Amino acid sequence: MDLDDLPGELIMWILIGSEILVFAAGVTAMSAMRLTDPAGFADAQAMLDGRMAALNTVVLVTSGLFAARAERAAGAGNRRGARRGLMLAALGGVIFLMVKAVEYAHDLSAGIGIDTHPFFTFYFLLTGFHAAHVIAGVAVLGLVALRPRPDAVQAGAMFWHMVDLVWVLILPPIYLLM
Amino acid sequence: MTDRLTRNWLVLIALILATTGLATQDGRIAAAGLLALAWAKSRAILGGFLHLDRAPGWLAAFVVPLGLWLALVWGLAAVR
Repeated sequence: MDLDDLPGELIMWILIGSEILVFAAGVTAMSAMRLTDPAGFADAQAMLDGRMAALNTVVLVTSGLFAARAERAAGAGNRRGARRGLMLAALGGVIFLMVKAVEYAHDLSAGIGIDTHPFFTFYFLLTGFHAAHVIAGVAVLGLVALRPRPDAVQAGAMFWHMVDLVWVLILPPIYLLM
Repeated sequence: MTDRLTRNWLVLIALILATTGLATQDGRIAAAGLLALAWAKSRAILGGFLHLDRAPGWLAAFVVPLGLWLALVWGLAAVR
């Protein structure tokens, strides 16, 4: 095991590790807080619509496939293929945000706010912080697509896979574990 | 004939479908299954999309701590 074995830039792996730690800390805090009011947390969680979260998981992993294909195309010198993959990945991010907006609108119309219950404080903070990363990721993918050099495309794709990775890890504790 | 990236995506879709099916169940065993599926998804992303399956030792360096953390999350969720 050697640092040189890591694909891509080391700084991207430091970023990925840091982001995982931040979200893991948030989920762990939420799980610990749940011990103070298990019934209240279960009732609050039951108000969420897990179907939209499942749909968004499909959207994100599919956009991850396009980002990975963009990276492969850029490595092969196929700039057009790289640009197409990046734009499709970014489109997946936009669709994710649209579904998330519908979900938030549904929550708000049901009278759910960030201070309705401690569970919703964690829910809005964790999913909102993740959505902010999706927005940043869409911007990164769009910028990289302007000049799809292999190293830049790889870095952009790595950022996007990190967003994908964080989502699949925070989804069960937030939406599914009663 | 599908390439490696598409196969990895298909694995992820299968894991999402399994998660959707298991999400209808309640209890500690179902919770363990849901977290195990999340771990498998994270492994697929790290190995297949972030290419750690080609970096000796590094895939384990990520997925083993993630597995321990998910076990902690399960333990906290299992306390009723």
